[in-house]
Amino acid sequence: MSDAKAVADRLVKAKRLNALLTPPKDLRKSLVMQDAAARPTGVLYGMPVAVKDNICTLEFTTSCGSRILEGYRSPYEATAVAKLKAAGALIAGKTNCDEFAMGSSTEHSAYGRVLHPLDKTRVPGGSSGGSAALVGAGAVPAALGSETGGSVRQPAAFCGVVGIKPTYGRVSRYGLVAFGSSLDQIGVFGRSVHDAARVLSVISGRDPRDSTCEDRDPLRLPTVPESLQGFVIGLPKEYFPPELDPAVRRACDRAIRMMKELGAAVREVSLPHTPYAVPTYYVIAPAEASSNLARYDGVRYGPRFNGATDLRGLYRATRGQGFGAEVRRRILIGTYVLSAGYYDAYYRRAQQMRALIAQDFRNVFDRGVDLLFTPTVPTPAFKAGEKLADPIAMYMSDIFTVTANLAGLPAISLPIGRVKGLPIGGQLIGQSFLEDEMIEAAYALERVVPPTDEA
Amino acid sequence: MSWETVIGLETHVQLRTRSKMFCGCSTAFGAPPNTQVCPVCLGLPGALPAANGAAIGLAVRGALALGCTVQPKSIFARKNYFYPDLPKGYQISQFDQPLATNGTLSFVSPDRGIVNATIVRLHLEEDAGKSIHDRFAKATAVDLNRSGVPLIEIVGGPDLRSPAEARAYLLTLKQLLEYIGISDCDMEKGSLRVDANVSVRRVGETALNTRTEVKNINSFAFVEKALTVERDRQIALVESGGSVTQQTMLYDSRENAVRPQRSKEESHDYRYFPEPDLPPLVLTPEFVAEQQSELPELPSAKRDRFVAMYGLSREHAAVVTATRAVADYYETVAKTSAEPQAAANWVMTEALADAKDHNDQLRVSPAALAQIIGLVKGGTLSHQAAKRVFAEVAAKGGDPRSVAESLGVIQVGDTNVVAGWVTDVLGAHAPEVGRYKNGETKLMAFFVGQVMRASKGKADPKLAQRVLEEKLASPS
Amino acid sequence: MSVSREEVLRIAQLAELDVDDETLPTLADQMSRILDYVAQLSAVPANGTVKVFVPGPDAIRFRADEVTPSGLAFGPDEFAPDFKEGFFVVPKLGQFE
Repeated sequence: MSDAKAVADRLVKAKRLNALLTPPKDLRKSLVMQDAAARPTGVLYGMPVAVKDNICTLEFTTSCGSRILEGYRSPYEATAVAKLKAAGALIAGKTNCDEFAMGSSTEHSAYGRVLHPLDKTRVPGGSSGGSAALVGAGAVPAALGSETGGSVRQPAAFCGVVGIKPTYGRVSRYGLVAFGSSLDQIGVFGRSVHDAARVLSVISGRDPRDSTCEDRDPLRLPTVPESLQGFVIGLPKEYFPPELDPAVRRACDRAIRMMKELGAAVREVSLPHTPYAVPTYYVIAPAEASSNLARYDGVRYGPRFNGATDLRGLYRATRGQGFGAEVRRRILIGTYVLSAGYYDAYYRRAQQMRALIAQDFRNVFDRGVDLLFTPTVPTPAFKAGEKLADPIAMYMSDIFTVTANLAGLPAISLPIGRVKGLPIGGQLIGQSFLEDEMIEAAYALERVVPPTDEA
Repeated sequence: MSWETVIGLETHVQLRTRSKMFCGCSTAFGAPPNTQVCPVCLGLPGALPAANGAAIGLAVRGALALGCTVQPKSIFARKNYFYPDLPKGYQISQFDQPLATNGTLSFVSPDRGIVNATIVRLHLEEDAGKSIHDRFAKATAVDLNRSGVPLIEIVGGPDLRSPAEARAYLLTLKQLLEYIGISDCDMEKGSLRVDANVSVRRVGETALNTRTEVKNINSFAFVEKALTVERDRQIALVESGGSVTQQTMLYDSRENAVRPQRSKEESHDYRYFPEPDLPPLVLTPEFVAEQQSELPELPSAKRDRFVAMYGLSREHAAVVTATRAVADYYETVAKTSAEPQAAANWVMTEALADAKDHNDQLRVSPAALAQIIGLVKGGTLSHQAAKRVFAEVAAKGGDPRSVAESLGVIQVGDTNVVAGWVTDVLGAHAPEVGRYKNGETKLMAFFVGQVMRASKGKADPKLAQRVLEEKLASPS
Repeated sequence: MSVSREEVLRIAQLAELDVDDETLPTLADQMSRILDYVAQLSAVPANGTVKVFVPGPDAIRFRADEVTPSGLAFGPDEFAPDFKEGFFVVPKLGQFE
């Protein structure tokens, strides 16, 4: 009982961040009930885990940061959430996010922006900004987010926490509200690599309800290694351009130095199709999204808006008033690139480019490289409002993260330093279904890198 | 001016599975609305499809029965459009890589003998729910029980040349799919639906002209009527100097007319793309071979075999192979009775007539019918009496011999008893005997009739005739 | 490559999204710029032999043909915006039926 109260108190204390969408009263009530029902033998017993609002829960509403699902109570829960509960975890409320996970700053939520835990004039990143901010503020030890183009790693880097994106097909997407189906994965935030990895292990594994989820056992966690002897770490030169923020470069250099000191072999490599990654992503993701969001039509769930005198009116009123500007923009782009006459030039071409990007990674891994190390984001957290005028400026924030989503590879961001008090993230990209190697290296790096030291 | 009609049919067939195509909801017909639904077929946020292996198997069987090339790898695709009974705002179907291509359906055209119609493709997809427009004023009621039921779409080439031919094609297709047991093919229940592509051209032209699509055809009878109406409309239009515009025509069975479907979007841009929630559909040779082995003897092969094995005419063979149930029934009766011709007659007349009035149930068991045939052959029952016995067994069951006894229709086949009646009759009709012996042999019928009267119908007429002939032949 | 306002309206119609006159010019402009940006992809040789890449399993898994519980904690009567006599209710399509 007191645990539940303490959990609730910590979350409510972080209210000013606007990271939590669940009203405090509902949160308290539910936590008490959950605490009583939680399985004491579960491997996450008593651990509060906040959940991004685009993941279906029975405990709280699921609005995906949108008006079109305002007040929507899902009649079923995501497989990942069920697994958390079976392991004894407490679902510690739903977190604010960019609407339908479309954004890189959590400024596109219909429920207001989320504040950066260390600097309220800045963004926490997105789209899983709420989850990142809560973990960054110490309000919860772990939280679920979702990745389509970096929406866990980028806010993790901004907020100074660990963020893991699993291999595509490692975690069931059943109950994750779809944005870009061939890119989406549920990801995990944690205060430490261990916290995040533990939660990832619990939510991973086969699910017959998700046809894209591989038929594998849950992830087995590696032990903390003594050194990085035997590891070959590749540094893709396209991720260290001349114009990279100097502080980010310094933090990365320090981390690389430390990996060498731990015995890793470090080597420069090339992923030549990297410059095409963001345009490729911004064809495929909106295309799939335009189709995934067609179900929001006001017919079967969600609120009804004024102006629906006939069927088409219902659709237009619901989608016109229910969706925000960024979502509408992406639906239009997506509809355009799939429409007759444009399919080959855009969508099909992007899927081919995607194959070339994936091949770049395979080429590098086939030549003896175990993991890649890169900065997670080109800059630390930017100021709220700074990138709203130009959509493309916002998209460029994903430049180092989208490649892992396009290639379906696992990746982890961990804090590797600060600049003027703002966190900087470093990223390890692993091989398909070899999260354990990636986590092992992350454990080692975490032990030696001073995450809050100025770079 | 001689016109040729060109018709191609697109048939949607619901597959007989217990659960839906992409979720575990029941497919049972007639449940209360929105009671056979789940997150997947409701299109709830976050739901994902999981493919039904049995549906895939049945689709492959359909493809094999139609002689199609089954593609080892095919892709599901999204067909995107908005409609209230399409919960996801897209239908999961197949587009440029379908399950099967290039088959044939051979059927007998009423106009020109055997036609080998091309089957262009066969693919798998999910059904939409039902929109009911007349339940609420100014509103549409939507029932999603049907949403997600597995369908195959069978696309025929423009090979049909008349509305009657289209009907014959459809009936043959229905028979084939019923035979292999993959669907009920019931147009009333909606498990078989047809849309028709229709165009006309001058006799001798080879190019295809603009076609229209005719929808809302709800029975086999309406197929012929709807296509006739549309053909006539097109011909009248072109003959008066107009031209056919590509559009969708809806058939109105009450008026027996077609009218254009007034919809804002005449050209649908479905924005097909591969379904990202489903990996490719890979069919191993073992899986396909297993489906092949599950196929029963197909109607045409069975017809040929009945002609060869049982000496039936093609027409009779066609009747007794109309459905698998009837064919299996006939064959059991034929084998058990060892009288294939008689069995065919009985099945075509008494058994099918009775079934028609009783929900297609073949009420007399094959063993019982074989027995009845045996009793007639052996002289125990006259044909008339046998029909009475058949009717009684159909209605109340029971063993044919016992039923015949209780009806009192067992023929007397005892020669001595018959001889007694013969003696009486001949004794009572001496003048006729004389006339017979003088050459009026047609009086035999009279004598047989008299014996039947004397025996109150119980004498075996054939035996009576034999005894009469013997007695009349001997001088006395 | 410029997206015309007519084209934006046509696409919006396909997506059942209303675009009001005020936002139309900005939207057309933004879409044009985004599409110009992603058109970089045409730098890829239009090589028919480059296969597309899709992550995830190589082949569909076959689900057993069994009726299973719906997994719904509560029915449409509780989450539907308009539900009468067991049916979802929507306004009629204006132009026909």
